[in-house]
Amino acid sequence: MEQVAQAAPGARRSGKRGKVKTLNQGYWRRYWVFYAMMAPGLLVMLVNNYIPMLGTTIAFKNIRLASRSFFTDFWNSPWVGWDNFRYLFTTSDAWLITRNTVAYNAVFIVLNLIIGVAFALMFHNMRNRLAAKVHQTLMFLPYFLSMVIVAYLVYGFLHPDIGIMNRVVLPLFGAEPRMWYQDTTWWPLILPLVNTWKSIGYYAIFYLAAIIGIDQEYYEAAHIDGASKWKQVWSITVPLIRPIIIILTLLQIGRIFYADFGLFFQVTQNSGALYDKTLIIDTYVYQGFLVTGNIGMSAAAGIYQAVVGFVLVFLSNLFVRRISKDDALF
Amino acid sequence: MLKKSSKFSKSFVLIVALLMALVVVLSACGSKNNESGASGSTTPSASSKEPAASSAAPSDSGGDSAASKLPEYNLTIFFPGAPPKDETLVEAEINKYLKDKINATVDIRMIDWGQWDNKMNLAIASRDPMDIIFTASWNGHATNVAKGAFLPLNDPNGKYGNLLEKDGKDILSSLPDTFLQGAKINGLNYGVPANKELAEQGGILYRTDIADELGLTDQINNAKTIEDLGPILQVVKEKKPDIIPLFFRDGENFNSHYFAKYDYLGDNTIEGVVMKDGTDTTVKARIDMPVYKRTLEVTRDYFLKGYINKDAATTQLGVADALKKGNVFMVPSPLKPGKDTEMAAPAGLEGKLKQVAMNIPTTSTGETSGSMLGISTTSGDPERAMMFINLLHSDKYLNNLINFGIEGKHFTLNGEQMTPTAEAGNYAIGAAWMLGNQFLNYLAAGEPADKWEQFKKFNDSTHNSPALGFTFNPEPVSSQVAVMANIRKQYDPGLDTGSIDPSKAEEFFNKLKQNGLDGVIKEKQDQLNKFLGK
Amino acid sequence: MATTATATGTAGKRRFDVNQISSGSNAAINVFFWIYSAFCVLPLLLVIAVSLSDEKSVLIGGYKLWPEQFSLGAYDFLLNDYAAILKSYGVSIFVTVVGTVIALAIMAMYAYPISRKDFKHHGLFSFLVFFTILFNAGLVPFYITYKQGLGLYNSMFALMLPFFVQGFFVIVLRTFFSNSIPTALMESAKIDGAGEFRVFWQIVMPLSLPVLASVGLLCTLNYWNDWFLSLLFIREDGPMSIQFRMYRTLLDIQFLSSNTQAYSAIMKANPNFTIPGETARMAMAVVGIGPIIFVYPFLQRYFIQGLTVGAVKG
Repeated sequence: MEQVAQAAPGARRSGKRGKVKTLNQGYWRRYWVFYAMMAPGLLVMLVNNYIPMLGTTIAFKNIRLASRSFFTDFWNSPWVGWDNFRYLFTTSDAWLITRNTVAYNAVFIVLNLIIGVAFALMFHNMRNRLAAKVHQTLMFLPYFLSMVIVAYLVYGFLHPDIGIMNRVVLPLFGAEPRMWYQDTTWWPLILPLVNTWKSIGYYAIFYLAAIIGIDQEYYEAAHIDGASKWKQVWSITVPLIRPIIIILTLLQIGRIFYADFGLFFQVTQNSGALYDKTLIIDTYVYQGFLVTGNIGMSAAAGIYQAVVGFVLVFLSNLFVRRISKDDALF
Repeated sequence: MLKKSSKFSKSFVLIVALLMALVVVLSACGSKNNESGASGSTTPSASSKEPAASSAAPSDSGGDSAASKLPEYNLTIFFPGAPPKDETLVEAEINKYLKDKINATVDIRMIDWGQWDNKMNLAIASRDPMDIIFTASWNGHATNVAKGAFLPLNDPNGKYGNLLEKDGKDILSSLPDTFLQGAKINGLNYGVPANKELAEQGGILYRTDIADELGLTDQINNAKTIEDLGPILQVVKEKKPDIIPLFFRDGENFNSHYFAKYDYLGDNTIEGVVMKDGTDTTVKARIDMPVYKRTLEVTRDYFLKGYINKDAATTQLGVADALKKGNVFMVPSPLKPGKDTEMAAPAGLEGKLKQVAMNIPTTSTGETSGSMLGISTTSGDPERAMMFINLLHSDKYLNNLINFGIEGKHFTLNGEQMTPTAEAGNYAIGAAWMLGNQFLNYLAAGEPADKWEQFKKFNDSTHNSPALGFTFNPEPVSSQVAVMANIRKQYDPGLDTGSIDPSKAEEFFNKLKQNGLDGVIKEKQDQLNKFLGK
Repeated sequence: MATTATATGTAGKRRFDVNQISSGSNAAINVFFWIYSAFCVLPLLLVIAVSLSDEKSVLIGGYKLWPEQFSLGAYDFLLNDYAAILKSYGVSIFVTVVGTVIALAIMAMYAYPISRKDFKHHGLFSFLVFFTILFNAGLVPFYITYKQGLGLYNSMFALMLPFFVQGFFVIVLRTFFSNSIPTALMESAKIDGAGEFRVFWQIVMPLSLPVLASVGLLCTLNYWNDWFLSLLFIREDGPMSIQFRMYRTLLDIQFLSSNTQAYSAIMKANPNFTIPGETARMAMAVVGIGPIIFVYPFLQRYFIQGLTVGAVKG
């Protein structure tokens, strides 16, 4: 669906490539409303995001608290260049935390996409609408539980002595009880499982909303042409929800260096023995902060995560542009 | 189509408009409150009680008559703990009393433990106005001092001069010198230590009823080393399979600082120690201390034999809660006189718990600076703050009021002995160890009349750590410290609880070395040598 | 052939549609979802079960779907302070409802202009909102901006404002607006002389009910589940959200288990210090969930299919 510029008094019709040339008066009369509509949002972003962003320069300073005002202290504190970034890179674990963060997030992105779309399709095609509604509601239940409670539940499963796995499930198969929290083997499976279970509702709901918006006519026509249901899905549904798929994926790529703190810190009981497979940038920074209380170092980590995310999204966006310009993020 | 949407839009617009109006009204209400919130001073209770307080005749002052010359000031006091129900009531009583003494009111701000670090770091970094703040060597005291969060309390050249000498005379006369000496950083004090037990001893607590049943009592009472405990635990495991013979968790095990006697020279999470019960001042990694390997091997042996709970490395259960469960025989514990009775009551094990010491009492910087009250650099009246702290160390009425509540309401008094009333639960802050001079406290139920004499004897029998008085400033090596913090979390819980093989300790310390251990140890040694005047 | 616009809002079976999936597939899907839904419900039931159990039996026997020993002790302990809990419920409900409505309004109004490719600056403003997703403004600058810059402390507005604009949702809304609304509709409205805002309000919004409901639902969940804002901005005796009130104790437990130094020091000094047991924690979870469970069924009705179909035809 293309958006074609509207004819307005005093304006020339635009082509797809050319810039819209308008007489200023005509433009403003037409479009002032848009600026007015965006104003509240801009104000909120200014306060919530852009003004505090100025403060991330903390990352380059060594904050000395001498006066009663943060601004004075900030002003007087010495610049220390990249010092606060060192602990992120000079550790022998630098590669480990980066690898863990990116790998897990990549897996999450793929799972969210495949399972999210699959669920949405299934909901949409179920014959019994009441059952569909019920299942959609139930799918959200895990999202209501905070990660802390999920951590307790997982602990209830994997506790070495009284956990359900060691006490009930494994004996059923005649297997030995395991020290789940000391053994890294299963966590690359457990964490995506818990993450998907908890948050699939989030993505499925968007895909479902997109699928609902597809004109039934397409399916009718295809059916008349003899297309099977499966073919209809691949030729009609998926291509038509492509924009939302791309956008959701790109947005997640932008956050690929951030991860759910609760998932990696609380569900793992912050067990050091698992660090090889569970330590990520966020938990790493947190541990450091607990000991040093250095806000400059935390701010440095934030910048690092944001920069990498930005680069990755930019590259992905370029890639998407090649394929289909309209679907790109910007 | 448009008709339908106009019905939709009308009601929607109305709703949004109404809500926005509501929000505006609310934020106005919010800002009224925020006046007090932002400055952290007047609470409604304090201001509404003022008229009542001032109705007391000004001449009725048993204390300072100079008090009336001082301008009124509201002190904010921050310390950790669960805010009690009757906080405002007790605050009012305190304010009544303080008016005549130092013409001040207090705003007690208790912050839950779980939020303490977050909120305090934030408040300090944002320069929120605060007066008195709890601080401790194990709670980032050194880092905060380095940052500039606390005022020096006895700097004659400082902005406020030597506050201790000016307004803290009672502190200086009642607090044993060791405390203040021990808590110094770079020659100055940045916090007033609480006057409490000075020495620390490590040992175990065990269930006397089970021991008597199995005939182990004498054996246990004569145990001197952790190896002696093995045979005892074996009997318990055989005869009582449902009981956990030895309960460990991360931080409470044979390798804890109070048991193995490591002096971490400040923050217990930064590697590099001297031994508290020795005289050597060479800073070494724990693995280079003979007790480390020995302890790990014994612990591992006990773990494999099933004496230690399998979830030791990850359990969130505290020692006290483990005892409450009822299926634990022995736990490690820092000891002082009467520790067993103290632990027994909340666990429901009155008379069934006994302690056995397994090393000598020692005093290190951790004991002297394990509980202090500092004055924030954002305080509006540091001298008044010092006066208040002074009262906590000398004024028996005030000290017990802030600690235990109002006599008659929260407890009844019989001589020195307190008996809790039905409303005791509404003000039970458990913060006596943070607030001033514990020797002024009334005795709680079950405590022996000579409790404080016993304490004094205990304190006097201590062996001072060779590094007493020194606190390490981690700032020059903060990058390495942050990195090492993660590595420690990876190995310590498993090694200390016997959950992983002691051979991994080599791997552990090699990894630490790779990440700057040597640099940190050298820094510690250099600072320590400077302190010792070498 | 006549088209039958079907609505997922109607209960019961869909009218016979030649183009349905086979009954085999339908059965398979149903079976799958009954199993999956069980996996979603059982943990919640487990939480409820543990909250109704006796503490000691849980400590020794672990979590059981059917408690070994029933006990209302956990709720007794929690609801001791029921006045405070009611107040927190009020705070949470208010913040959630009002916050979500305002957030939806602000975000939709922002997303629409940037969805219009003919709007000169749509790229710039898209980027402005996208950038906020990448970058977590640091905690300290954020806190200072609110407390000292805006004077927002201890007020419910401080609990709402941070979530008014979430980049993720704005971008999603934008995508829906530009892809799901047929231009023909907007053109005809403009020809009828409608201004841009009217087009937005009377055409685009009603047709976007599914995505608005989705974003609305997730906004609601964000507000309801949040406890961090209460930690930052609300005094101990102020209007805190119900999640935070429940979460405080869990935070204590977490702190003590990760900071063993502090734990030893506290234990050393104050053996009376106890933390709520397993059952109390689960009871807290139950209390914290509250009415939010009913949100999705409530918003379900907006997931209406075929909104755009009739519009173009009719």
